[in-house]
Formats: sequence, C-alpha cells, structure tokens
Amino acid sequence: MNIPLPIPFGRAWRSVFAVLSALFLFSSTVSAQQSVVTGTIRSSESAEGIPGVNVVIKGTSAGTITDVNGNFSLQAGADAVLVISSIGFQSQEVPLQGRTSLQLQLENDVRQLDEVVVVGYGSLERKDLIGSVTKVNPAETKGIQAGSFDAQLQGKVSGVQISSNTGVPGDAVTIRVRGATSINADNDPLYVIDGVFVNGNSLQTINTGGKATSPISDINPADIESIEVLKDAEATALYGARGANGVVLVTTRRGDFNQRTKVTFNASTGWAKAPKLWDLTTGPEHATLVNEFYRNAYADAERTNNAPNMTKYRYVPFRATNDNPTATPAPLGLPEEQQTYDRLHELFRTARLQSYDLSLTGGNKNTRFYIAGGYNRQEAIIKPIYFERASFKVNLDQRVNEKVLVGVSNTFTRTFRNQARAGDGPQGGLLQAALHTPTYLSPTNEQGQPVGRAGFDNLTSLLNNYDVNSTSLRYIGNLFADVDILPSLKFRTSWGVDYNNYDESEYWNTFLLLGASGGLATSSITQYTTWLNEQTLTYSPSLGDDHALKILFGNTLQSDVSKRTYAEGRGFANNSFTQISSASTSTSQQTWSSNTLASFFAKAAYGYADRYLFDVSVRADGSSRFGKANRWGYFPAVGAAWRIKQEGFLRDVDAISNLKLRVSYGITGNQNGIGNFASRGLWSGSSGYQGSPGTAPLQLANDNLKWERTSQISAGIDAGFLDNRLTAEVNVYRKYTTDGLLQVTVPASTGFANFWDNSTEISNRGFELELKSVNIRRGNLEWITTFNVARNINKIEKLRTPSRYGSRDLILLKEGSPLYSFWVYKQLYVDPQTGNAVYEDVNPDGKITTDDRQIYGSIWPKYFGGVTNTVNYRSFDLSVFFSFQYGNKVYNHNRFFGEGGGAREAARVIFASNLKRWQKPGDVTHVPRPDGVNVNNYLDGGSRWLEDGSFLRLRALTLGYTLPKQAISRLGIQNLRVYASGTNLLLFTKYTGLDPESSVSSDQNQQGIDLGTPPQPRSVQLGVSVGL
Amino acid sequence: MDTLTNQTMKINRYYIAVIAVLVFGACDNFLDVSPKDSVSDEQTIFDKGSSEAALRGVYSALGSAGYYGTSFQSIGYLSGDNIQWTGSQSQVQEFINHQVKADNATISSAWVAIYQTINRANNVLAKVPNVADATLTDALRNQILGEAYFIRALAYFDLARVWGGVPILTKPTLTAGDNLGVRRSTTEEVYQQVLTDLQTAEPLLPLTTDRYRATRKTAWALLARYYLYRKAYDKAEEYASKLLDDNTNYQLLKPYGSFFQADVRGTRESVLEIFYNGTTEQNTHRNQWQPQTNSGTRQWAPNDAFVALANNATVGGNRSVLVAKDNQNRWYGNLYYRATPSDPSYIIRIAELYLIRAEARAAQEKLDASRGDLNAVRDRAGLGATPAVTKDELLLAIENERRVEFALEPHRWFDLVRTDRAASVLSVSDKNRYVLPIPADQILADTVLRQNEAYR
Repeated sequence: MNIPLPIPFGRAWRSVFAVLSALFLFSSTVSAQQSVVTGTIRSSESAEGIPGVNVVIKGTSAGTITDVNGNFSLQAGADAVLVISSIGFQSQEVPLQGRTSLQLQLENDVRQLDEVVVVGYGSLERKDLIGSVTKVNPAETKGIQAGSFDAQLQGKVSGVQISSNTGVPGDAVTIRVRGATSINADNDPLYVIDGVFVNGNSLQTINTGGKATSPISDINPADIESIEVLKDAEATALYGARGANGVVLVTTRRGDFNQRTKVTFNASTGWAKAPKLWDLTTGPEHATLVNEFYRNAYADAERTNNAPNMTKYRYVPFRATNDNPTATPAPLGLPEEQQTYDRLHELFRTARLQSYDLSLTGGNKNTRFYIAGGYNRQEAIIKPIYFERASFKVNLDQRVNEKVLVGVSNTFTRTFRNQARAGDGPQGGLLQAALHTPTYLSPTNEQGQPVGRAGFDNLTSLLNNYDVNSTSLRYIGNLFADVDILPSLKFRTSWGVDYNNYDESEYWNTFLLLGASGGLATSSITQYTTWLNEQTLTYSPSLGDDHALKILFGNTLQSDVSKRTYAEGRGFANNSFTQISSASTSTSQQTWSSNTLASFFAKAAYGYADRYLFDVSVRADGSSRFGKANRWGYFPAVGAAWRIKQEGFLRDVDAISNLKLRVSYGITGNQNGIGNFASRGLWSGSSGYQGSPGTAPLQLANDNLKWERTSQISAGIDAGFLDNRLTAEVNVYRKYTTDGLLQVTVPASTGFANFWDNSTEISNRGFELELKSVNIRRGNLEWITTFNVARNINKIEKLRTPSRYGSRDLILLKEGSPLYSFWVYKQLYVDPQTGNAVYEDVNPDGKITTDDRQIYGSIWPKYFGGVTNTVNYRSFDLSVFFSFQYGNKVYNHNRFFGEGGGAREAARVIFASNLKRWQKPGDVTHVPRPDGVNVNNYLDGGSRWLEDGSFLRLRALTLGYTLPKQAISRLGIQNLRVYASGTNLLLFTKYTGLDPESSVSSDQNQQGIDLGTPPQPRSVQLGVSVGL
Repeated sequence: MDTLTNQTMKINRYYIAVIAVLVFGACDNFLDVSPKDSVSDEQTIFDKGSSEAALRGVYSALGSAGYYGTSFQSIGYLSGDNIQWTGSQSQVQEFINHQVKADNATISSAWVAIYQTINRANNVLAKVPNVADATLTDALRNQILGEAYFIRALAYFDLARVWGGVPILTKPTLTAGDNLGVRRSTTEEVYQQVLTDLQTAEPLLPLTTDRYRATRKTAWALLARYYLYRKAYDKAEEYASKLLDDNTNYQLLKPYGSFFQADVRGTRESVLEIFYNGTTEQNTHRNQWQPQTNSGTRQWAPNDAFVALANNATVGGNRSVLVAKDNQNRWYGNLYYRATPSDPSYIIRIAELYLIRAEARAAQEKLDASRGDLNAVRDRAGLGATPAVTKDELLLAIENERRVEFALEPHRWFDLVRTDRAASVLSVSDKNRYVLPIPADQILADTVLRQNEAYR
C-alpha cells in the first residue's frame, strides 16, 4: 500500500510540538506570589464530598480537581477568584480574599434537561443542540436478549426502524435511520465507536442461505456508556460522505479522575424458546390433498382433451397397494394408512443464555481507567447454532501535564459462532429438513438408513454432523492526545484501528448432502483493516456573556484493506479426515481490495444571548472509488435554533419550562456498499479453459461515477412543561437523494448486465414524536412513561428501469413506488362455483400474464415506535417496554411453499391452513382448489401469501430489586441488585407466520420475505449485579 | 493576550500549511488505489499470449452455467417429453407444461450467457487482427479468428432456436454507450448471420481433429446441423458425410455408455465437447440431475415415460445407462455424474451426424441409405435393424431414435419444433409458442426489444 503521508506528517508534528512546548513553558511562568490553598467541596444536599469538581483560577487555565473525598489543593494568589464547577451542580465563583482554607457547598443544578449529548467531533449540552440527536442510555436496553447493541435499540429511537430478521443470535439486523436512500449503495448508518469508523458490513463468506453475521455484535453492550443516533443533516454533515444514512456514535465507558476504584460484576442466565411453531398437516391429510390434486388435474385434462396429462393423472398415488399396482405412479397406500413424523420438535429446543461482565473503574489525579471483561453465550432456539462472545476492554487516560491528556481505548473481542444454514436453499437447510419436508415421509428408507426427503437433508444426520463455524477476532482501538493550547484553543490528534480477522470453516461429511460424494471442506480467512487518523482544532474564545462562538477545523485520513484467502477440498478418504490437505482435489482463491478516503471539515457555531443559535459546517471528502475528476465531494450544512423560553415574554410563564425551535438544512453523501473499483473498466483473469488461464470483460467503465448526495431539511420543536415533568420533541424532515448509485441495467445483448452509475432519485419524508412524562414522583414512588412514534414515507422519484429482487421476483423497485415494494398477482377471491382463484386482470386482456403483476404494499410500516413505562418504588424497579410497527407487509414464503395444494406431492410439506381449500361448489374460502404448481391457482408471486406484518410486541419486561444499603455494606458491598427480565414475552399480530420481522435474506433489497429462518425467541433471564 | 493571539494565529497558519501540503501533495497519491484481482480494460488483447487467453475466455463463456453449462441445455430437454420436475424451483415446471413466462429465470440466464459469449467473441474478432506480435503467426491468428467466428455462429444458432429473431451484434461493447438500441432481426437474418460466420470460419480453421476446440471439421458438423434445420437436405447430407467418412477420428463407440462413463472424455464419439478441469472450470450440471445422496439436488429427473422407454430392451437397449435409481428408489438421470464437477458438455456427437444424414437422406427419398445410418446408431445401442419401411415411417423412427439417443441433451424440443411436430406430440397447438418469451428483464432494460407475440 502506498501511503506517503506519515513522513510529511511526522516532520510537521515535530515542528508543531516544538511550538507547543515553548507555549507551555511560557504559560507556566506567568503568575507570582503564590500560596497553597486547600479546601473541601460538599454537596449541599447530602453533605458528602464531591469528587471530580473543577477548581480553576479565574482568568487562567490553572486549576485542579477534587479527590475522592472532595478535597483539593492548589497554588493561588491571595486576591485570586476560584471558579468551582461540576456537572450536575451550579457553578460558583469564590474570591479568596487572603483565605488559604475553604469549606464550600455546591447546590444541585435544577436545570436537569441539560444532559450532555455527544455529537460529531465534540459534545454539548442539549440546550445548545441544533440538530436532531437521540441519546440512548444503554442501561435501558442492554438486558434485551439480542446479539448486538443495535438490535437492542428497536423502538427506543424515534425515526429509527430496526428489524431483527431472524432468531439466530449475532446475525445482521436491518437498521434504517429516517428511511433508505439508495438502491445499490449501503443504507446502513455509519458506526463510530470512540472516534473509530468501524466496519458494519459482514465479512461472512459461508453460505447460510442468504443470511449474514453482524460485525456490530463484536461489541459488548456492557462496555457502552452512551449511544447517540444522529439523524438530520446538521448533526451528520460533519461526517460528510458517510452521513447520509445517519450516524450511530458509541462512547464506551471510561474512569473518572479522583475516583475510588469500583468493581462491578453482572451475571445473568436465561432460557429462550420459540413462542409457537408452524401448524402442519398430518400424513393422512397430506395424502388426501395430493389425491385431490390428481383428481382435479385429471378432470382438467379430460375437459381440455390433453392426452399426456390424462395418462399422467389417471391414478392417484395414495391408493391401496393392490389397486393397479403396476400403473404409474406406484401406489403408496391409502391416505389413512400414512404415518405422521414430527421433525419440528427435534430441531427446536429450549436454549440457554449466559452472560457475565466484570469491570473495574477508577482514577487518581492524573490517571483514570476502565478495565473490563465480558463473556456472553447464547444458544439459538434451533440446534446446533450458538453464539459466544468473549471480550476485554482497557480504556486509559493520562494527564501528561495541565495541558496535555493522552488516552487509549482498546477493545479485543473473540466471537465464535457455531453456524448452520437458517435461510434459503435445500442443502444443509435446517428448516428445509425440519419444516419443509412432508410429514408423511419416514426419515429412514426401507433398509432403515436415514434419508433426506424432498431434496433436503435428513434432519437427524444434519444435527449430528453439522460442522460449520466462524471465529471473529476483532480489535478496535484508538490513541489520542488532547492539547489545551490555550484555554480557548484545543487540539486533538487521534489514530484509530479496526482490525478484524474472520476465520470460517465448513466440513460436510458423507452423511450430509453437500458432502455426499466424498466430503467437502472449505476454509476462508478474511482480514479487514481500517486505519484512521484525525486531527481537530477547536477554538472557543470568550467574547462576553452574550456571545458564544466555537470554531472547529479537522481532517481525517482513512484506509480500508480487505484480504481473503479461501481453500476448498473435495474427496476425503473417510469422515475422519477433515482438513483440506487430505482432500483429493482442492482449489483456492485469493482476493484483495482496498479504498481510501481523505477528508477536511470545518464548523462554526455561534450563540447569542443563550437565545439564538446558528451553525454552519462543511466537509470535503475525496474517495479512491471514483475517477480523478469526480473524487472530491463537498457537503455543507447550516442550522439555527431559537430558545423561545429564554425570551422575555416566556421567561415568567411557569407552565412552560422549555421551548425551542430548531431548523437545519444540509447535504450528506454516500459511497458505501459499492465496489472499491466500481468506476473502472475491468477484465478478469479467471475465465480459463482446458486448464489454461483465460481473460474476459468484467465491468464497464464509468469515469463520471460520483457520490450519491442526500439533501435534508429538518425542523423540530423541543418543549417542556411543568418543570419538565412533561417533555416533547417533534421533528419533521424531508430527505432527497440525487445521483443515487445504481447498477444500471444495460441490455444483456451488450454482453454486460449492468454498470455503476448515478441515476436514481429517492425521497424520504416523515415526522418523529417523542414524549416523556413523569407521571408520578412522590416520596418513594416514581413512574415515568416515554413514548415515541415515527412515520417515514419513502418514494423512488427517478429510476429508468424497474428492477426486481428476491425469490420469484417478489420485490420490484419502480419509479413512483417505495423501495422494497411487493410485486404480486393480486388474488381477488376464490370463485365459489369453480374453486378457482380470480386474480385482478390489470390489463384487461382476459389472460393473467406477467403484465398483471402489480405493486401491492411494501416492507415500510406506516407508523412505528415504542412505549416504555418505568416504575421505581422503594427498592423495586419495573420497566415495561413495547415496540410496535403498523402497516407493513410480509411475504410468508414458508406458507407459499406449504400451501401448494398437494401438487408438490412428496416435494414439500403441506401446512394445515391448506385444509381450508375449496372442495365443492358453494364453498367460500380464500384457498383455491389444488390444480398445479406455478399455474392458475398457485401462481408464484400470488398475493395470497402476502400478509399484514403489523405488530405490537412486549419487547422487554424487567423487574429489579436493590438490596438495602445497610444489609450489604457490612459485606463490603456498595450495591446489589437482583432482577428478572423477559424479552418478546408477548406478540400481537395478524401475521400467520411465527415472526413478522423474519427475513430470509440479509440483502437490503430482499427484505420482508419470510422463509426458512427461526423466529425471535421468547426469553426469560435472571440476573444479579454487584458493585464493590 | 495579544501575544497569545499572535501565537494562535501562527499555529493556525502553520496548521493550514500542513493541510495544504496534504491536500495538494499527498492526497492524490493517497487516493490512487488500483485493483489486484482484475486489470484495466485498456490492456487486454495486445500480443500472442493475451490473444490466446482472450479466446479461452470465449470458450469459458460457451461452457458457463447459463449456456452449455446448464441453463441453455435444460431449455432443450425440459421442454420435451422426457423429463419431470422434482425440485423446488417452479420455473422448471414452466418448460414441462409449455407455459414459460417472460419472467422465467432460466431463459434470462441463458440469454445473458449467450450474449456474453458473443461479446467475448466480438472482442477477439475486433482486436486480434490488430495485434502486432511477430510470434503471432498468420496461421495462428487465422485459427483464433476462425474459432471465434465459429463460436459466434453457434451462439446465434442457439439464440435463433430458442427465441427466433434476436438483435445481431458483431462489434464488442467497449463503453457503456455501445451496442444500444439494436432492434431484433428476423429469424431469417439471424440464420443468415450464422451461415456467414460459419462460412468465414471454415477456411480460417485448420483441418485437424480437436474435440475441445473448433476446427474446420467442427464447422462442417455444425453446417450439417444448420442445413438440416434449414431443410437443405442435400447440403446437410454432404457436410455430415465429411465427418462420417473420417472414421479413423470419429466413430460410434460401443456400448452407448462408453462415450461418458468411467470419467472418460474426448472420445472418438465426440465432435465438440466443452472441457472442464473440475476445479477452476466447473460444470455444475450434475447438481440438477444427481440425487441428494450424490450431493445433487435432483431438480429434475427422467419421467416415468422415459424411464420405461430407456429400460425397454427393444427401444432403449444399452442406453438404459442414462437412468439410475437412488436409495429411495427414485430414478435420476446419470449422464452428468462426476463428483469432481468435470463432466464434459456434449455439443456435437458423431451419433448426431449419423441421424442428421439419416433424416436428410430419408427426406431425399434415399431410404436404404437412410436406414443404414439409423441402424448404425441402433446397432451401437444393442438394437436390431429398424422395422421402418416408408419415408414417413423412417422419419418417425428417426425422431423416436433421437428422443432416446439425446434424451438428456438439448435436442428434443428443437427437433419437434423444427419438424412442426410439437403440436401433435406435446399438445403445443399455438405455433407462436414454438419460440420462448424474450426475458422480461430484457424487455424492461432495452426499449427497442419487442416481445414474441404469444407472450405479449
């Protein structure tokens, strides 16, 4: 890799540091006639010493911080004025007037709405916030049973739609911040963990039927201090080319200076189960339906005089074994003679869950630390899948002197997954073997050997021999230095790394279909490395009480390199040989890819009289993915806020405790998800013949390829009433994406399928509402309700050629419709006279053809959100959290296969719902008479299997009890809480599948198709949390 | 304070200078990242080695999964009357029911793969003539061009068989704007293109025997088939004879299974077959045929009628080796079976040339000679002489012989269509359905492409 930067950088830094060192020497010699001043600072409420209070000599940057007991000591002149400040308390100014010993009390700060919010390259108090940022306290979510912290956020952040997709722990979830902006570029938000832009795309290469793992699940939720989701352009524009889909900022826990060392231990254990299973036909019922199909098909053939079909359907298969025994199909015995075999209960289990976390935090005057280790093991509710994460974390900060702070953040994780195919595809598919196999077929053949039926594996053989796993080793870390060049001028440099070694292996022995001919082994190692360097300079001069100005400059350099080595071996002497070195034939592959990004950004924020806030920012990004002429993109944003409550006319209106209006406009970009070399014309060297290498065109060039740009206008109101007992935030927004990155279809007669171009336009508009109400706060009782709801309307504004995605082209992307719209033959009813399905004939030509497929609903809900009630009474805490979604569609693809009407015979299970089929004139039902596969009544893409996916889910219920201090302090324990929690305890939905969030594919354009994947489990956990 | 501000400004100025250096000096280098897995399309065919490599790329496309690997072949046999659908992908059933819809995934992948083959051939044909390399002799240059012309001829022949008239493209697509807006030619024009390419290829190709590559003899064999389809029976007979007379190189092997069983390849039975080494070049056709116990998906299988024919000693003879039974007593097709996916794709076998000549001779009333050719194929299958006497009986006997002989190869549907027998044998009464629909995604992508009449 050619990175010439560090050299000029190094030289530059030496000079900068020389200048800085001179400055420190200069500034530390300015004062004279000093004496030692000592004192103690206590809380006016509890009279306990307050640690970590800033004590600064007014007009200088000299000062100190109180220790664990609230004591401080510093050098100051006799006429100095001390400025005492601490978060959560009102600041004081204390003139020394010759005193050398002080006893001070700080009042609690009643303005509690001013929580600190982390934003791009800094943090600020909520009152000063212009953009739309939702802060999540991970304490509220980390008990929710899920593999990754983003999955835990469902229903917690207004405007952020999260779908879990599967019950396999640690698999990718879909997360959309204010809709989706792109067809072929990524729609996932940018994840920034302690300043490092981390990889959010799965490195999985093993085929688990369209599913992918979540690299975000390498993060232990217990290490997270806060999560901020940046939603509008004002908030995300500083991330420029990365900001179009929102930004998730994760801050991990750090110690505090002058803090006693605290030990915290959490342990929990739990059990998870499928809330329900599918309802299948018995063997006799299955046979009856197949026979009925034969009779219908024979009658149809007779009516149309189709001789081949009359021969074919002359005899039903389920007939007495002595009834025309030599005719085809051969007799299988009467329906009532058929057996029923239950495979579902062999696959599903009560899964065990365990989680342990131990952390140590503390600090002295100049050093603070957070050291933690965690272990988490989650079994899936289907055998043999499990997920295991072991992590440790070291965050350390060291004050070098009064002006320089150096810190490191380190996360090491090992995530092990015992995997299996819980998605699409016949071979190795767990639910294909357990659910899609007809119930009447025995798992063994006449010789008693286990056999797979209907083209699927034998379930028992699968469960006994599955050997697919992956190990992710992940390091995410950064090293930074904060330099207070002047009180008003701060500089930060940061070097970050995200390194992921993803090691996968499969072994399919001869008992399994994929390995049936001599065994099959694969091994794949993917290494993904991101390194990142960043400098920021912040200037915030004092301009008097009415003016607040903050200026930020910064730059970022980022490089991503992805390498993969893959080997595959076939033909093993026997099942004991499992390494590729023992294979009779083996093949291997090596791939390499990389991209770089260079960025510069600046922001200026100005506030007048604590009433009017303005800011303006711009970021320039250069990407290696685009040609020289188009590689730089510029992303500006402006924002303004008016704190109306601060105006004279509202200041004395007691009922209104806060009122603020915010507006912003900005442009952000997107280039994620496209190939690193998407703009180039390429030939590949992998088209060999007769064992010699061959070359062939691979990709058409597009020198004009450039950034996708999303402009967003957003406005919001923050309001608080009755001392902020009731607070509300309302946002409305409109996003419009132009130059959308698309693999534009070209006529295949050119020899190419498509090329990358900027040709789509997509809009998202919507609103978000968040309410928080302290319903009761009286004595020992507190009851708080938070509620959020959002609506997003997505629309493809411009798309030249409609494109189809998903199995059976179930999803169509078409101009004028939302992304991910379902494309189906709309079944109107079943004719009670004939039993035939009647489809809407869109072009009324009397025939049902592809032209009659129509867009009918989409995966987008009309409304979604969550409601949380927390009650604290004495030592008890109770939290009840519902999430909901209304108005989205799900294609029940399991039921599509399972409601085949008998025409699939031995090739597929039949669901019990098929028994409601039409049988005789006068029957009123929506299930037509069986008459074939993918014809007439059973067309692929029929709307009969497209269902309402609305739901209301009791996402989490937690009850905790904190033991009284007196009882435990004798044991040296500061804090002891025991709790029980449940996840997904209730689900209210009309969806007939198991989970309306299930989706067979992790592909962003193929969501909402439910096939072959387990539901999210219902789980219960018991836990204890101890603080020493 | 003033001093401090000055210091600040100095530092700011210095910092800005650092940024400026980065922007104008280093950034362009930093942002230049080149791929390693592929190369720029500006350096593709420039010497002997790269010309040969590009030609191998054309063969690779010919053998790809969408073309002779699986999809195109399956169109030819699934649409006949020998195969039943036994898997999960219901697009397969559309061929068997003769109700193929425009959004059928198999026709889409075949269309894409065939045109990809044509574009690769066009690259060779456009660029190899300009290669300046002393080691690229005229003979070799001609051979490379001849092979590319042959493959393009075969590609257009196959397009015409499936869809009728299609867009004819003879120049490579080099940029995103090339080759757009080309309307469908008529079926006649496409067949004319096939003939032009074959006649151009014939003199360029060497008169050698190579069963994995096109030679002049391969061109003759395809011309024989071409003229049979075009009902130019004298020419069909003439070109078939050119190979049948060369019986040191081309022979019917006894028994039937000897041209594919026991992992053999490139036997004297074969006129043209695609070579797959099983590792970097894989033929996954077996996965559709083999049962699960052999790591296949048994997506389709011989139907009851064909199993009966194959196992009938007076019809199938020793061709019964085309079918086998799995451990659940289910029949499966066994022409493509190799565990290492290296089964050849058979494009032209000498048996076909016997039957082409038999049909051509029968059509020309040379009944005894015709019977002789038919009996050669029957004899190899272990059967007695044909009882057919009259011309019509003989033509029907040849049709039925082809049904069994090529049951798992792409012939049955095309045979019944070219002889206009699909109506009576397969109950496909609408002749507009003798061609399949243009893939719906292509109709969407290409505004000048018109759908075949039966599918509008």
